[in-house]
Amino acid sequence: MEAEAPGNGTGDAKAMGKKGVPEWLNSSLWASSSSPPASASTTAAARLPRSPPSPKIVAPARAPIPKPPPPPRPPQPPSEAPRPSVDAPPDDRSPSRLSQEEVSRQFQLLAELSKKVVNIGELRRLASQGIPDGTGIRSIVWKLLLGYLPYEREFWMQELAKKRSQYKAFKEEFLMNPSEMARRLEESVGHKNEALETGGRGFLMRSEITHDEHPLSLGKTSVWNQFFQETEIIEQIERDVKRTHPDMQFFCGDSSLAKSNQEALRHILIIFAKLNPGIRYVQGMNEILAPLFYVLRNDPDQNNAVYAEADAFFCFVELLSGFRDNFCQKLDNSVVGIRYTISKLSELLKKHDGELWRHLEITTKVNPQFYAFRWITLLLTQEFNFVDSLHIWDALLSDPDGPQETLLRVCCAMLILVRKRLLAGDFTSNLKLLQNYPQTNINHLLYVANKLHGSSAG
Amino acid sequence: MVLVLAIGDLHIPHRAPDLPAKFKQMLVPGKIQHILCVGNLCIEDVHDYLKSLCPDLHFARGEYDEDARYPERKTHDWSIQAWALPWPSVPWSDLDSLAMFQRQLDVDILVTGHTSQFKAYKHEGGVVINPGSATGAHSSITYDANPRFVLLDIDDLRVWVYIYELIDGQVKVDKIATTLPAH
Repeated sequence: MEAEAPGNGTGDAKAMGKKGVPEWLNSSLWASSSSPPASASTTAAARLPRSPPSPKIVAPARAPIPKPPPPPRPPQPPSEAPRPSVDAPPDDRSPSRLSQEEVSRQFQLLAELSKKVVNIGELRRLASQGIPDGTGIRSIVWKLLLGYLPYEREFWMQELAKKRSQYKAFKEEFLMNPSEMARRLEESVGHKNEALETGGRGFLMRSEITHDEHPLSLGKTSVWNQFFQETEIIEQIERDVKRTHPDMQFFCGDSSLAKSNQEALRHILIIFAKLNPGIRYVQGMNEILAPLFYVLRNDPDQNNAVYAEADAFFCFVELLSGFRDNFCQKLDNSVVGIRYTISKLSELLKKHDGELWRHLEITTKVNPQFYAFRWITLLLTQEFNFVDSLHIWDALLSDPDGPQETLLRVCCAMLILVRKRLLAGDFTSNLKLLQNYPQTNINHLLYVANKLHGSSAG
Repeated sequence: MVLVLAIGDLHIPHRAPDLPAKFKQMLVPGKIQHILCVGNLCIEDVHDYLKSLCPDLHFARGEYDEDARYPERKTHDWSIQAWALPWPSVPWSDLDSLAMFQRQLDVDILVTGHTSQFKAYKHEGGVVINPGSATGAHSSITYDANPRFVLLDIDDLRVWVYIYELIDGQVKVDKIATTLPAH
């Protein structure tokens, strides 16, 4: 294994010192803990999600190139969400145990949020460091970061009212089955057969149907035909929603809370699929929607929490708009597709840690497609426990460059943090490690990722 | 939205070779939730074909059905029953008697067969439907020989009855809207 300075021709690498690694990275402070908590079996037997009890893994339905199926992620069950009026799951860090720095940040965030016009730049800056848990402000901050709420407070009410009523219209348009549509139609024109309907006897009157509208219609414009053609997508959505975060009571289980949350997720994904025929539904969208909906539903302000479904829909659209090209199979090989994005990660690693890059991609042939596909398309929701992924999303959503840039930096940081183990490992152990990323101090991770931002200028 | 196919009196192969092709074109799997068959299919092949459309298949055996293992009648959760053979004391052609009979059965929708004569009749106790013969096979009772079957769309208490009829080689679809009596 080579240890000399990377002579790969990139001038930037040379500027980084002999090992090709920035000096500050050599500090042991930034190395992650050596062994992961053995909470899941590390038998790399890849189990595909077939039945609910097995650990949930998300293997995106279409793999652009053949890759070994990822082994199950170690389930890190965060404590389940209590009634919706409380904020993020109570972990160890109740508000009273927030660090001084976090308390100060919380104070600044609240101050920013109470201004007449929110300074979005300042909000981004604060949010990128992480929104303290248990403060109940994540919901509003995310809505601002995603552009759902305007910066001027005085417009919030009318904007929200407009969007929420628009969503209601979407539900009526897209979630009704043909029977319900027929019923609605009848109600709008008024019952014509009243006399025969209410009591009375007699032969029922036949009436002709219009426009070939009957359940067995094969007509292209028939609502019945369209309904049955969409059944497949709807069934896929239902399957995926049922398997979203099976370890969290908020999402899964027999409680009425879980059921109503699942129904909300289902509605949002169905409406999105129908509004976007070019992309429809792709497996994994449920995983991106889940944290959004969770945060919005746990807004301590009940007036907002009750509209979580509508708000989450628009936030989901907004969030996905930056990433939808990753889900479009036709674009896989294009300049905007997932392969290109992964290659950017590769370039980033090469720039900041040439030694690691070479060991990974050349020596041990761990192609980033094998692990980064899931990292990127699912916005790291599968790599960390739920609470940690919310922190990461604070950083992703707050970056003015757009979530993709920060995402790549975080991915790069993830690699760098475990560089010692990667450098010592072979193909199998490295792949296993990266597909089963160990628990990490998220603050460290985000710090490292941020540093990469700073030094990318050369 | 529950789709129920009411079909019967095919008399295959004795009186008709097969279901009309245009019917088979429309009857595809994945759309229908339940099938109620009022007997007189006659052979296993037809049974298998209907089973391929929908796994929830219920039979009321007719007098010409070969296989004795078909039960005579079955009951559904939302109270539809299919009767192929007339109850001895109930003249099928007498609608009042039928209505009384249905009241005794306490079902919302009664599907009857045997006469191969299409009928859709409503009374205070519910609705009676005879889907006619799906192959248009002649019967001793009626001259109305158009192939016919019925598809019910049940949405709570609202029922749409779609009547599919083959007239001069074309499928004509009519519909009836009715409401079941509340319990």
